[in-house]
Amino acid sequence: MVFLLRRLGFYVAAFIAAATFNFLIPRLMPGNPIDTMFAQSGTVLPPESLEALKATFGFLDVPLPIQYLHYLGSVFTWDLGLSVKFYPLTVNQVLVRALPWTLLLVLTSSLTAFTIGSLAGTRAAWRRGGAFDSFGAPGALMLQAVPPLVTSLLALSLFSISLKWLPTGFAWDPMLDLTWSWASVWSVLYHAVLPVVTLALAQIGGYLVTMRNSMINLLGEDYITLGMAKGLTDRRLRLVYAAYNALLPALTSFAMSLGAVFGGSLVTEVVFNYPGLGYTLYEGITSRDYPLIQGQLMIMTLAMLSANFAADLLYIIVDPRLRRA
Amino acid sequence: MAPLIAPAGPNQRVARPHEPPSAEHVLGSTRMGRDVLAQTIHGTRTSLMVGFIAGLVVTVVGVAVGVTSGYFGGRIDEALNLLTNVVLVIPNLPLMLVLAAFVGEAGPLTIAIIIGVTAWGWGARVTRAQTLSLRQRDYIRASELLGEPAWRIILVELLPNLVSIIGFNFIGSVLYALITEATLEFLGLGDPLALSWGTNLYHAQETSALRVGAWWEIAAPSLALVIFGSSLSLINFAVDEIANPRLRTLRVPKRILAALRPVGAAE
Repeated sequence: MVFLLRRLGFYVAAFIAAATFNFLIPRLMPGNPIDTMFAQSGTVLPPESLEALKATFGFLDVPLPIQYLHYLGSVFTWDLGLSVKFYPLTVNQVLVRALPWTLLLVLTSSLTAFTIGSLAGTRAAWRRGGAFDSFGAPGALMLQAVPPLVTSLLALSLFSISLKWLPTGFAWDPMLDLTWSWASVWSVLYHAVLPVVTLALAQIGGYLVTMRNSMINLLGEDYITLGMAKGLTDRRLRLVYAAYNALLPALTSFAMSLGAVFGGSLVTEVVFNYPGLGYTLYEGITSRDYPLIQGQLMIMTLAMLSANFAADLLYIIVDPRLRRA
Repeated sequence: MAPLIAPAGPNQRVARPHEPPSAEHVLGSTRMGRDVLAQTIHGTRTSLMVGFIAGLVVTVVGVAVGVTSGYFGGRIDEALNLLTNVVLVIPNLPLMLVLAAFVGEAGPLTIAIIIGVTAWGWGARVTRAQTLSLRQRDYIRASELLGEPAWRIILVELLPNLVSIIGFNFIGSVLYALITEATLEFLGLGDPLALSWGTNLYHAQETSALRVGAWWEIAAPSLALVIFGSSLSLINFAVDEIANPRLRTLRVPKRILAALRPVGAAE
């Protein structure tokens, strides 16, 4: 319990840090970004909205600390301001509409990559120096060095444009109304294949190597030798004795890499015109929609913190030492 | 180097728009009739420069924070460790997007610095962990008892033993910076007039190169990124094996290891 409470405290601190960052950056830049934004784009926002936006971001005629409190107040009541690009929607509405798609991509691809990568890593460590290890491990690392940007562009070019096997974009067939019918679900899955696979490809290498390295370190332990001496089957020894214990570092890297996956998903969505956070954000960037860009940092941080919290809970399940604390 | 080996100036219009690869223009041409090979070669300069500068910033900040926190311990450690964890847990790319968006059209150098100041968390954590374990060693205790000043212990006794981790961190950061720069520029946050692999991809996307079938415009910078990135990660794999003998596959001949060692040390 103490462990969990401490983690929660840390997450609140991290969230405030992200908010502080959002607060400070516009103030460090010359000029008032909200005015600049209005000056440069032929905007559709009425003047009242401008005032509301200023209030949300704390651009008021009060001393800085009070502005800061004002801004924190907005953030914690989840008032992220109005979107300029998608007026009259608020940033909140725009983001909530897009979030499920991004979560779908991020979670499916991470879980796939985690499962495949960890199992392959176990295998590589077990037969160390064998063909699978010699080619698999460096190969996976090379794969990891290929940015999602490149994989998704190449995959789009090959499978969607040249071969026409898979759709070139969007999350479902626009001819369908999105319901829980088989046709809709099938269409969503069909459209998710390429983004998910490209995202997963970039991650497999990391999990493989983490798992392989922590397995190799574990395989030298006495209890493994004892297990062998007892005549346990290879399979049982490999999965239950070694892999289960090697899972902890893999879990850490799982939680840590989610941030990168969110980043990767931003790019993949842009390439595939996938209506998630990334694509929405891309539209925000092209029209310099500052409230939207700042809002996505908050929502991404929140998603990241929740994922980390989930990993903490998993830790407790996997590692009994934490339960006692 | 670029002007010497490139077949044409990067912004010269030397061909018809979207010409497929041919003997004259080996990698084809862009929508603007520019030579893709020339653009890729000139882009290499900026991309590599950003990669190395950002990698350097990441490494320096990471090592400074990690060593300070690991060596001094106590309050300093707690504060710095909290900072590191916060930096680690806030997603990097969205953070950089906010920074880059407010800076406006960020030039390559600005991008390098933005990457540098946001991505040092991982390096700091690893360096701290290693410093903590080194700090317990007898020889550090001995130097302390001899009354050596802290800066000397850090520079002379600690840092040389951290070299493999620092090298690993540096190469990894260069790789990360390279990818991130391309990503930021691709998303349209870079200076569109700069010449780098990222802006090349951005222009290709803007002119819908893929949809009209001009795959070569995307393929050239992509392949450049892939080749450079995988070389870096292979170097890192080797460094890792040299630093941690347990990971070494037993079949690697000594000769190869000996050949790798200077590479790892130089990085």
